[in-house]
Amino acid sequence: MKPVLVEKPIEIARDHYLLRITGLPEPSAGQFVNIKIGKGTDPLLRRPFSVFNYSEGTTEIVIKIAGKGTSLLKVSEPGEIDAIGPLGMGFSVLKTGSALLAGGGVGNAPLYYLAKKLKESGTGVKFVYGARSSEYIYLLEEFKKVSDDLTVTTDDGSSGKKGLAAEEALAAGGADIIYTCGPAGMMRAISDGSSAPVEASMENYFGCGIGICSGCTIRTVGGLKRACVDGPVMEGKKIIWEELCR
Amino acid sequence: MDISVKIGKLTLKNPVTVASGTAGYGEELSAYIDISRLGAVFTKGLSIKPREGNRGNRIIETPSGVLNSIGLENVGLDEFLKFKLPFLLKSGATVIPNIAGHSEEENEELCDVLSHTAGIDAVELNVSCPNVKQGGMAFGTDITIFTRLLEKARKKTGGCLIVKLSPNVTDITEFAAAAELCGADAVSAVNTFLGMKIDIKTRRPHFENKVAGLSGPAIKPLAVRAVYQIYEKVNIPVIGIGGISGTEDALEFIMAGASAVSIGTMNMVDPKISVDIIDGIREYMDSKKIGGLAEIKGIAHIRSGE
Ligand SMILES: Cc1cc2nc3c(=O)[nH]c(=O)nc-3n(C[C@H](O)[C@H](O)[C@H](O)COP(=O)(O)OP(=O)(O)OC[C@H]3O[C@@H](n4cnc5c(N)ncnc54)[C@H](O)[C@@H]3O)c2cc1C
Ligand SMILES: Cc1cc2nc3c(=O)[nH]c(=O)nc-3n(C[C@H](O)[C@H](O)[C@H](O)COP(=O)(O)O)c2cc1C
Ligand code: FES
Repeated sequence: MKPVLVEKPIEIARDHYLLRITGLPEPSAGQFVNIKIGKGTDPLLRRPFSVFNYSEGTTEIVIKIAGKGTSLLKVSEPGEIDAIGPLGMGFSVLKTGSALLAGGGVGNAPLYYLAKKLKESGTGVKFVYGARSSEYIYLLEEFKKVSDDLTVTTDDGSSGKKGLAAEEALAAGGADIIYTCGPAGMMRAISDGSSAPVEASMENYFGCGIGICSGCTIRTVGGLKRACVDGPVMEGKKIIWEELCR
Repeated sequence: MDISVKIGKLTLKNPVTVASGTAGYGEELSAYIDISRLGAVFTKGLSIKPREGNRGNRIIETPSGVLNSIGLENVGLDEFLKFKLPFLLKSGATVIPNIAGHSEEENEELCDVLSHTAGIDAVELNVSCPNVKQGGMAFGTDITIFTRLLEKARKKTGGCLIVKLSPNVTDITEFAAAAELCGADAVSAVNTFLGMKIDIKTRRPHFENKVAGLSGPAIKPLAVRAVYQIYEKVNIPVIGIGGISGTEDALEFIMAGASAVSIGTMNMVDPKISVDIIDGIREYMDSKKIGGLAEIKGIAHIRSGE
């Protein structure tokens, strides 16, 4: 079955769109799909997007407009879409206890599906939803449904608490594990500051997304790892963040 | 229909191969295609010791192309022989290791060991990687250094020696001719073109190494030109590489004079593209009633009426 975009991308917040795709296998939380935008050679490379949700055969992703590819993708017409996936290694879904999920911007997206899976396993979900400002917050009601407790932080205080999601997450503490996806600086702060294990979903630049180009390597205490096949979810405390946060 | 190709003593099942550095060691591509169907798998450029490659940004898209500064990250000779090669051979693939030593001695040793390893009938000597600070650059762009390396490599290489040429020279045919004189069995043309990207936000080069290698459809006309010119100058087979993104592109290279072709960057976009091109070439030959590749190889050089 070929992947099909079921409807036009839906605007869900400023610069953020929801895409619904059928025909892809069921993913695990934290995996991504790799999309070729257009049939031509520009844009050339596939663009990776984390799975935001999966339900009854439909894979959902949230895209934030970043440049050429995402600008074209947001005006896609329904129909066949050249998507490969799901790919990569996702989150380990904790089966008991409590988890803290901390997202930044479009990085909240993969944590939604993770929260849903955690809830299904009976694990407690505390969610820190970080955004630049209120206009960038998307699908908040949906996030609340899969969280036992959800705090919004914005950089400018236009919604929720004014401040950084990382600080809020570290202040909350007490969880058995922290899952995070967002800007490298945020994931680094959480990895450095947390006493609990941290799983971070990397969103660095990918060449192929399937492990053949070595363009996406990240230095860890265990050597270089390819974020696309060894990740995108990696143990935050094993990542050498200095190289990513220059 | 016979679409096999002879490169020195080696016979490839068909003319479609996957290029070094864009196919890993075959493992990942195997999830998408049967790698035994390929003419050959050129593996990632090898050094004796594992190499980490360059740090910082390593790859970025450009208009219809890609700039890379991977810096020859590879697993090293031991791991290649112990784990990567057995997998490739078990899969039934024709393996051609790409050799990327950083000194004459390292290249000699790699040629020696690899060409005398069971299951390997050919090696490809990469004299042109533009993004490694030491060595690399000089071998492929200075005719004296190039010739000296090839003479030494030829002596150590048991089987077929393929030389992968750098396009970053004034006259690539001079290097192809020197390779032929030194006893190379074939040349691969071409490796990536030196390019650069400046980040206007940081006002600095995007890559730590400053320059990077350009590949993909953007370089195809440059590569076709190189193959066409080389074909006029040498008698050894040419493996055409550069921006091939479909059957028509592959045919273009063959008509320019390539005996075989290699798919690079486009594997990254469509991991099935190489086998699609094998099928595409067969369909083309079928529809045009062409019995063998020799009928179209280099045909662009023949003036009408000849
Ligand atoms: C595993 C993974 C999951 C991802 N999940 C999502 C997701 O769920 N939703 C989403 O909107 N985005 C996600 N991204 C990021 C997304 O892939 C990029 O934003 C997208 O590829 C940009 O394409 P573009 O053509 O619009 O931008 P381009 O025109 O290619 O680039 C615009 C600018 O952004 C920079 N840029 C592009 N990609 C990246 C990157 N990955 N990291 C840092 N800078 C970059 C470029 O250098 C350039 O300056 C993910 C990335 C990865 C690796
Ligand atoms: C990510 C990447 C890594 C590469 N690594 C090597 C290498 O290790 N050795 C080599 O000889 N060529 C290497 N190349 C060059 C390719 O084999 C090929 O010659 C070049 O990309 C042009 O072909 P293309 O336009 O089809 O990609 C690499 C190219 C890319 C894009
Ligand atoms: S993006 Fe090519 S190896 Fe990860």
